[in-house]
Amino acid sequence: MQDAKLLTKTIGNVNRPTMTHPLPAHLLWLFLTLAISAAASLHLGLTVYDPATVLGALRGGDETEASLIIATLRVPRTLIAMTTGAALALSGLLMQTVTRNPLAEPGLLGINAGAAFAVTIGVTLFGMSGLFAIGLLALCGAVAATALVFGIALSVGPAAAPANTLLAGVTVAAMLGSLTQVMLLIDETAMESLLFWLMGGFADRGIGPLWIGVPVLTLGLAGTLLLAPALDALRLDDDSARSIGVHVAATRLAALGLGALLAAGAVAMAGPVVFLGLVAPHLARRICGPTPSVASHALLACLLGATLAVLADIVARLIVAPGEAPIGAVLALIGVPVLVALLRKRAEVAL
Amino acid sequence: MTPLAASRLTLTGIGLLVLLVVATGHGSSAMPPLRVIAALLGEGTRMDEVIVWTLRLPRICLAVLCGMALALAGALLQRVTRNPMAAPSILGVTDGAAFGVVAFLWVFSDAGNSLTVSIHWQPMAAALGAFAFAGIVAVMVRLDPAGKGPLRMILYGVALAALAKAMVTLMMILGPVYRASQALTWITGSVGAAHWSDVMILAAGLLLCVPVLWLMRHDLRQLSLDPESAFSSGLSTGRSQAAFLALSVLLTALAVSQVGAVGFIGLIAPHAARLLHGQFTPGYLASTALIGGALLLGADTLARTVAPPLELPAGALTALVGAPLFLWLLMKGRAVHA
Repeated sequence: MQDAKLLTKTIGNVNRPTMTHPLPAHLLWLFLTLAISAAASLHLGLTVYDPATVLGALRGGDETEASLIIATLRVPRTLIAMTTGAALALSGLLMQTVTRNPLAEPGLLGINAGAAFAVTIGVTLFGMSGLFAIGLLALCGAVAATALVFGIALSVGPAAAPANTLLAGVTVAAMLGSLTQVMLLIDETAMESLLFWLMGGFADRGIGPLWIGVPVLTLGLAGTLLLAPALDALRLDDDSARSIGVHVAATRLAALGLGALLAAGAVAMAGPVVFLGLVAPHLARRICGPTPSVASHALLACLLGATLAVLADIVARLIVAPGEAPIGAVLALIGVPVLVALLRKRAEVAL
Repeated sequence: MTPLAASRLTLTGIGLLVLLVVATGHGSSAMPPLRVIAALLGEGTRMDEVIVWTLRLPRICLAVLCGMALALAGALLQRVTRNPMAAPSILGVTDGAAFGVVAFLWVFSDAGNSLTVSIHWQPMAAALGAFAFAGIVAVMVRLDPAGKGPLRMILYGVALAALAKAMVTLMMILGPVYRASQALTWITGSVGAAHWSDVMILAAGLLLCVPVLWLMRHDLRQLSLDPESAFSSGLSTGRSQAAFLALSVLLTALAVSQVGAVGFIGLIAPHAARLLHGQFTPGYLASTALIGGALLLGADTLARTVAPPLELPAGALTALVGAPLFLWLLMKGRAVHA
């Protein structure tokens, strides 16, 4: 009975017309959605501007208050949201593919928390500052946290890997979050600036962080596309991947490293943001079938991640206006149902 | 109770008392233990007595009692779910209770930001929130296509806890500032503001639980058997499981309504007690309670003295102990599948 169901499901997927020429069409409409969301993000907020004002501000020239707000506040936060969303989505996708674990995600696995903790240590203990130093610290923290979490999960044994990785990650995240709170007490002046960044969000960060984010995202995307054939092979199982000449361990390390790099870039830009890396690849899988090639999956996930981040940012500034909701709280409202749905899927999270 | 177990229990109790005296002595004006004891016995100077009885002791008693409640809740949950990794904070009960409290403050405050009903309804709201989230987790586990594994329960708990946290954050921002500052303690937990009336509520709640636990002590013991043996030994498993779950949720709600979402006490204390006593001795629950009280008191005292005038939330410190313990339990692995 179960097998028959599975079979029809598989056949259904094979027969799906979207399998042969799906990608350009999907990319096109996702790109359009992203463009519309970004445009909406420039218009909507505490004050809603009409398109003429926004266009004028984008063209530059006039010195009105409206165009100042759009050019110095809304454009940066939209760009940062897009870059962060894409980076986190890609990071989540890489981790999910390489560990065959649909629950892997930099936020839930404590990798963002690791990056944030490293930055906090650097700033409070060693007085480090500057974008480059922060990016480097975030990278060290992200790599260390990745090693720690996957190390713990591996030592538990492969039998219940997805669930164990998630639990290890959530717990490591809680621990690192507490340590970060303790570190903040050391330096009160650093606390003021760090607290805001540690909340996670895209607002009021200026255009500067993009100097880290865009290169990291480009590097991550290029690396993913380069690794894509090997990752495709890895999706089955290690032995069959090895038999067609894939260096399993090297590919896995490279992909996890790229994932950590992308997460670090995202954290350096926007602080720790959870759930984006879980939701975007999952939605991409919903759109293009359960087993897309890694390359197309990566492109779709990037676009979806960017769109989701921009939309969540719009929601965050609208629902509690004139205040701003933390982006993490908004994303949790979408992320938790997705997480529960993934947990309920027996085949993928077999225990 | 064997003499050995009794003496260990007594030692734990004495340890808690010593910690209590030390904690009372610590603060912005330090007091040597002898002066604390003198003030406690009513023999100290007027100044000392004011500091001890009205400033420090309410907070300290609150920490001890809340620690006890959370620890007992954890021990009951671990027994009922037969899962050594279960704890109120891990199964989403703690954050559910926090959600109940914040929702209560949100619904029942007027335009002038003062409450329209008595603050003493707050524990009730916490209990409602805790029951709601515990219920959702239970339903999800029951509906789960993969069946009831011990890990599934924890996974759903973790997910639901994240949802409750997000809703607490959103509600705090949606509400006016007054509510936010009142609700802020519930994010990570703190026993900052304490009054004797809070202590009384908590003590009454705990005292009510003790006779229930005493009456049901045999059930609790039978529950640790595997389901078939428990059933054949004459236990109505479902009913006693439900009763203990309800008790555990109530205890959690009681504690959370006073000190906020302090995590991990319900995980650490039962394990520490198990190391000391073994889990099938009569003193197990008592020592769990004592250790839980000592843990939260220790965490709170550290939290307020480590970097004055700043205060850490006590929950940040309990997580530093609890998270590694949870990871260790996870790595031990086999216990989870038992």
